[in-house]
Amino acid sequence: MLNEFLSHLFPRVVLKRNLTISYTFCLGGLAFSAFLLLLCSGMLLLFYYQPGPEKAYGSILLLESSVWGGRYLRSLHRLCSHLLLVLLMLHTLRVVLTGAYQKPRQLNWVIGCLLLLLCVFEAYTGYLLPMDQLALWATQTGMELLATFPFGPLLRGILVPDGIGHPMSLLRFYALHIMLVPLSVLGLSFLHFYRIRKNKGVLPYL
Amino acid sequence: MTRGYLKSSPYFFRIIKIAWLLATILLLVLAALWPAPLQEPADLARVPNPVKSAWFLLWIQEVVSYSKYLIYAVLAVALGMILLPWLPGQQKSDQASWLGTGHLRIAVASLVTFAAVLLLTVIAGYFRGENWAFVLPF
Repeated sequence: MLNEFLSHLFPRVVLKRNLTISYTFCLGGLAFSAFLLLLCSGMLLLFYYQPGPEKAYGSILLLESSVWGGRYLRSLHRLCSHLLLVLLMLHTLRVVLTGAYQKPRQLNWVIGCLLLLLCVFEAYTGYLLPMDQLALWATQTGMELLATFPFGPLLRGILVPDGIGHPMSLLRFYALHIMLVPLSVLGLSFLHFYRIRKNKGVLPYL
Repeated sequence: MTRGYLKSSPYFFRIIKIAWLLATILLLVLAALWPAPLQEPADLARVPNPVKSAWFLLWIQEVVSYSKYLIYAVLAVALGMILLPWLPGQQKSDQASWLGTGHLRIAVASLVTFAAVLLLTVIAGYFRGENWAFVLPF
């Protein structure tokens, strides 16, 4: 049943020449593969991570020192997030350079832009969770950058009501990182695939 | 079947499966070779110098280090990117091609922007030392 649902997200037929690998380099597919691995590794990390300022760092230490494969799992999760962003940026560039953003695919282009922004935000919220020096100060700097944007201070107040690394802000980052943003990315990804079907193919010029 | 078309199953889906398999294997192997760093516990009393943002935001940090008003340039780039299909001066191409003539100006502008973001990221990541002064990384 899952296979049938997934196959319905894609077009029934495709132009043979559009399957040439040098048109797309399958960058979108590679990015989604990294996202799936990110989901799997993230779900396993949930079994050990504790989202509290006093407990977060300790739970990472425990994961790395006492859990079989824990250090590898964290490395995998981090690497997947880095590669996902790199692949999404390359995919975006490919779409521009091949003209695939043009009408009638403009809606899917906007969905893709939202996906890119959401994935950057997902990576940012995940940065704080280990609660080490790198996490704290990278997140702090990110918030200072946000404050320079119009309405930035307002957004900062919502995301960080009690200061970076304090209980409420860590909990908000955690909730956004493990639930709200990934679900949004997953939902928009399915919409992105479905729009490819609606637009009759992975590339324009059909 | 219309001429020139193939059924997605198995032709399109085969490519997707191969991409998924390759990406997964590559990531599984690389994760074993590239361990995630873990520094000392977070301490608000110990401020590192320089303080750097996450690598994917470094280019924005570099931009606003010149002037905070340059954040509007970042916003303009983001807005321009979202509105790309509606920007004037482009024609719909009728053949799939990299850097096609119909959208050549947009493509070149995007390449320049992408290169600038990459360059700013490298400068902020490797050429910024104490107090955000320009330093050589070697």
